[in-house]
Amino acid sequence: MTKKERPRPEKLSVYLYIPNIVGYMRVLLNCVAFAVCFSNKTLFSLLYFFSFCCDAVDGWCARRFNQVSTFGAVLDMVTDRVSTACLLVVLSQVYRPSLVFLSLLALDIASHWLQMYSTFLAGKSSHKDVKDSTSWLFRLYYGNRIFMCYCCVSCEVLYIILLLIAKNQTENLVNVVVSTLTQISPLSLLLALTIFGWSMKQTVNIIQMKTAADVCVLYDIEKQQKKP
Amino acid sequence: MMASNKQRPAKLSVYLYIPNIVVSTFGAVLDMVTDRVSTACLLVILSQIYRPSLVFLSLLALDIASHWLQMYSTFLSGKTSHKDVKDSTSWLFRLYYGNRMFMGYCCVSCEILYIILFLISKNHTENLMSVVVESLTQFSPLSLLLALSIFGWSIKQIINVIQMKTAADVCVLYDIDKQHKP
Repeated sequence: MTKKERPRPEKLSVYLYIPNIVGYMRVLLNCVAFAVCFSNKTLFSLLYFFSFCCDAVDGWCARRFNQVSTFGAVLDMVTDRVSTACLLVVLSQVYRPSLVFLSLLALDIASHWLQMYSTFLAGKSSHKDVKDSTSWLFRLYYGNRIFMCYCCVSCEVLYIILLLIAKNQTENLVNVVVSTLTQISPLSLLLALTIFGWSMKQTVNIIQMKTAADVCVLYDIEKQQKKP
Repeated sequence: MMASNKQRPAKLSVYLYIPNIVVSTFGAVLDMVTDRVSTACLLVILSQIYRPSLVFLSLLALDIASHWLQMYSTFLSGKTSHKDVKDSTSWLFRLYYGNRMFMGYCCVSCEILYIILFLISKNHTENLMSVVVESLTQFSPLSLLLALSIFGWSIKQIINVIQMKTAADVCVLYDIDKQHKP
């Protein structure tokens, strides 16, 4: 029993790390954002985007204050996944066909889940070179931080733009996108740029699923070969 | 290149295990991902049919968050000696994990509840409370099924919430353990 008593104060202190507090703020911001997403799209966009920016802040805080924690990393990851999922749900209500956003949601969850699983398994096996894929896109994405950032930010910005430019409750997605692009305005340029970054990210997600699945399979094969 | 050529047939054979009679990691992950994605998609559809959609949005958030944290903590527990975090003081937790049939009942209840809600909706924007109360007060076999599945579903959601706290503790203890080791 004394063993359990000793870590307890330390446990609370990890929960109160500054980057983790930023993490809780992000969760709160997202809750408020989605509570108003149907009634006040502008407020939602501001809150959502601000929470997205805090994602970078808590990472910076963790390094600056030497308060990197596993819990913080997981909180970060889960907040990302859930907020993106909720935004995709809202978009699936606003746009037709809703199957588009349903598919994007499925791809987001599946690819990140497999990716996380394979990261854990790769830590246990010697086959870390699975990531050295022959795919040039893969190497570009993982090799260049700015490109990776551009792709990730593009996704979020694209989804927010799509929410803001929707006027009715059941818009035709292709019509709205095409008409906005052909306006030839600053918005058109922003939309085009984000669509490009978003498509790169989705392509990488698909490649990632195959790579991660390979890691799972290789993990089993290695385990079998190690057996006496 | 030679090494990858030798492994390639082996990799393909694991992908073609039918129907995963031989337990494989890939099979388990595929299973998990399929569960999560299919539940998520069903909740999305329900959020379109029922008002307020915030209800199903929250259930989606809870489902993703709790399972994600749970998976992460399972991996970390495999690496630490603190596996006793799961021996929570919560009687509900012990009942859920101790009794396979109870766990099965709760999980199946969720899926059945969502399917029932989908099937009994007539219009496109139903008020969730009205539909549920109306179906329950009919006193038909459907009412009984609905009541049973709502009970199992509520237990499962409570477990999900407790799970998140327990899993978060595992993450925190993992770091503390790492620091204490030389």
